[in-house]
Amino acid sequence: MSSIIHVQDLVKTFKIYHDHKGYLGAIRNLFDRKYDLVHAVDQINFDIHPGELVGYIGPNGAGKSTTIKMLTGLLVPTSGEVRVNGYIPWKERKTYVKHIGAVFGQRTTLWWDLPLSDSLTLLQHIYEIPDPLYKKNLAMFREILELDAFMNTPVRSLSLGQRMRADLCAAMLHDPKLVFLDEPTIGLDVVAKERIREFIQFINRERGTTILLTTHDIADVAKLCERVMIIDHGKIVFDGKLDHLLRTYGGRRFLSVQFAEIYPEPVLENADIIKMEGNNVVYSFMRDTVSASHLIHKLSESYRIADLEVNDQPIEDTIREIYEKQLLYNHNHDKKNPAS
Amino acid sequence: MNAFLATVRISFRRQLTYRAANLSGLATNLMFGFFRASVLIALYREQPSVNGLTLQGAITYAGLTQAMIGYLSFFHWYELMHTVYDGQVGSDLLKPLDYFLYWLGVDAGRALGTLLIRGVPLFLVFALFYDVVLPLSLLQWGAFLLSLLFALLISFGWRFMVNLASFWTPNAIGIGRFAFGLSWTFSGFFFPLALFPDWLAEFSRLSPFGASVYIPIQVFIGNVSGIELTKSLIIQLTWIVILVILDHIILNRGVRKLVIQGG
Amino acid sequence: MKRSLSLLAKLLKIQVRSQLQYPTSFILEVLSSLLIQGFFFVAFGLTLIRFDQIGGWNLGEVAFVWGITEFSFGIMDMFFSGFDYDSFGPMVRRGGFDQLLLRPVNITLQVLGSRFVLRRLGRIAEGLVILIFSIIQIHASLSIVKVLYIPVLVISQVLFFSSLFIIGATTTFWTMDRLEILNVFTYGGGEVMSYPMHIFPRSIRLIFTFIVPAIFLSYYPAVYILNKPNPLGSPAFFAFLAPFISAFMFLLALRFWRFGVKNYQSTGS
Repeated sequence: MSSIIHVQDLVKTFKIYHDHKGYLGAIRNLFDRKYDLVHAVDQINFDIHPGELVGYIGPNGAGKSTTIKMLTGLLVPTSGEVRVNGYIPWKERKTYVKHIGAVFGQRTTLWWDLPLSDSLTLLQHIYEIPDPLYKKNLAMFREILELDAFMNTPVRSLSLGQRMRADLCAAMLHDPKLVFLDEPTIGLDVVAKERIREFIQFINRERGTTILLTTHDIADVAKLCERVMIIDHGKIVFDGKLDHLLRTYGGRRFLSVQFAEIYPEPVLENADIIKMEGNNVVYSFMRDTVSASHLIHKLSESYRIADLEVNDQPIEDTIREIYEKQLLYNHNHDKKNPAS
Repeated sequence: MNAFLATVRISFRRQLTYRAANLSGLATNLMFGFFRASVLIALYREQPSVNGLTLQGAITYAGLTQAMIGYLSFFHWYELMHTVYDGQVGSDLLKPLDYFLYWLGVDAGRALGTLLIRGVPLFLVFALFYDVVLPLSLLQWGAFLLSLLFALLISFGWRFMVNLASFWTPNAIGIGRFAFGLSWTFSGFFFPLALFPDWLAEFSRLSPFGASVYIPIQVFIGNVSGIELTKSLIIQLTWIVILVILDHIILNRGVRKLVIQGG
Repeated sequence: MKRSLSLLAKLLKIQVRSQLQYPTSFILEVLSSLLIQGFFFVAFGLTLIRFDQIGGWNLGEVAFVWGITEFSFGIMDMFFSGFDYDSFGPMVRRGGFDQLLLRPVNITLQVLGSRFVLRRLGRIAEGLVILIFSIIQIHASLSIVKVLYIPVLVISQVLFFSSLFIIGATTTFWTMDRLEILNVFTYGGGEVMSYPMHIFPRSIRLIFTFIVPAIFLSYYPAVYILNKPNPLGSPAFFAFLAPFISAFMFLLALRFWRFGVKNYQSTGS
């Protein structure tokens, strides 16, 4: 078995309770509660190989967190199989978690009231990291993540970006083979996000750490991941190369034109006008329907052009469009691994 | 005024949704009421009255204090502090409603909700187990309700002031623990003040803490009437005025400090 | 085991150090908790002047059960704060417990080491002062055996209260929030144990005998140590059940805790 994460027919079903209303209802709830079954994760399959950096994305409530929690052993699946690093996460917790790292963007693993340096020392003891390794890793991360400025500050006083850097360091100190990053850039500004991304890239490329990254921010994925998995309504609707996804479902391009004079309706076949301000017009068209040169040719036949520019749609927008329109969901509903 | 009433209403409704928590709190306070009543009964034995307080009055006292705990929330209230520490305070200060009135509205809604679904039922159940004293006239009921309203204003004025400490120090919880310990100690919550030595009872009664807890109960069980009643209500009013003025002075300074430091 | 203990020691040491970082504010907190907790006893004592005795016990005798309960509860509250359901429930709800599960160390040890509240020294000191005050008053009735039994009682009460905390913490795995009603047994238990328990009505005594056996930890041993008549007419050996009952409760609480941890599942989000 060469994969580091093996997931087969994984299902997690939750009971969602409906509480009785009222004073007596509060008592009744103790004995008799009605519920609905919700399939948070519904028959998913995937394998991740050592050294991969995989983006795991999907809309809110699609099942991302539930999957990560099953992979880290915090949730027990309703059915199906999970093997991570050779372990069944929820059965062999103590030995299993020695070899993984996890960062949950919304929470910290550090001690709230203690200075960062104390938290890290405690983690050395908790993970039984040998002194030389600890010192080597700490020195490296201090430099890359620039931790020195707040090494002696209590964690509760750190800014979100600082705290995230600290948490990343904490998750990497024991040289885990595999790291789960759940929304590591949530709530951060652009500069802080970029810094976190560089670090993720560094540990994946230079140290060969396998990384499963869940995120809301498609820019994270665009920057970091070759492979993406998209989950929606508890099902994996795409698993494959990011550029394959973009080629197949994306490919929207924009043609921005500045005309030499104002035209009331500068229509163009195979392209839609999405913005018009005086003599500036933006067209949208699909790469596989029509070529840019063809459009420009057609335009110059009928209108006088001052300037023009062709842009690809940003990846974020493409992916958002993919799951907003549920392109994948309708397409690949019954196929298991659509892209491979 | 409308904004204030809307704040009260929202907070009141929210309080009513915490049913399980309120039920659990009610049961807890009720049990403590039973414990205290048992101790009082054991203390009184055959004596009908001690220092002007009858056993029946003392038992009523025990039930009432427990019924008022949630309403007055005198010993544990860090809501405002939390908003200072998590930064919410910035947008609260920008609300069109005055900051003091905003929190008073939130607290009044909370207090009324608690009184309705926790305090009143608690006292009714308590009264099933023990023979309690009730106000005898409509006037006495009215005086009690007025005194109860004053009590909330005093309690709020005190809690607001304590919470303002968070404008200055990151460790205001410690100050709160001490301050709420004081109000717990001198309010007469633990034992009827009438059973204390007179000097201590008098000191407590004149403090804002006794004015908030002891006075409404005295009115309820009919231990003050006529001139004494008026005097008691004046003590309460005096504390309200003092605390509201202090709150505003401290608040203004705090806001200035917050603005200068940029929050 | 040895590694666990040394890790626990490190966890506690680092917390103590951080709590002592601001010594003035720390000392103030200890003193204020000592004075405020102490005030209740003083207030009770001053009240007792008007009545002479309660249930046939004088102030020195009540001080014995009061002091030993405060002392033990304070010690428990310092060491077992990690299991304080008031804070443990919210911690579970916010995912803090998940973070502990992601570390390769025994979970019970981690919870125990997660919170150590040094300012409880105030309450511990208060209990000790009251206990010493009592012993000065009652020393005539003490024998060697009785004196030796006092520390056994303290340990038993610490185990007893910590069992209640552990059980309380475990229930929050299901409720995901603090359950105020548990206060009836913990703080309420402490309250009833601070008085000669025969003054309470039968129903309350039954609760604190069969549901939560508080009466074996305070009243029966005190009747023996203070040479008081026992209006409940229970057998004399009840005085010596404290260590057995509390040890049994503690083991039971730990079992329940392990059951809770084993069946614990995080939320889906």
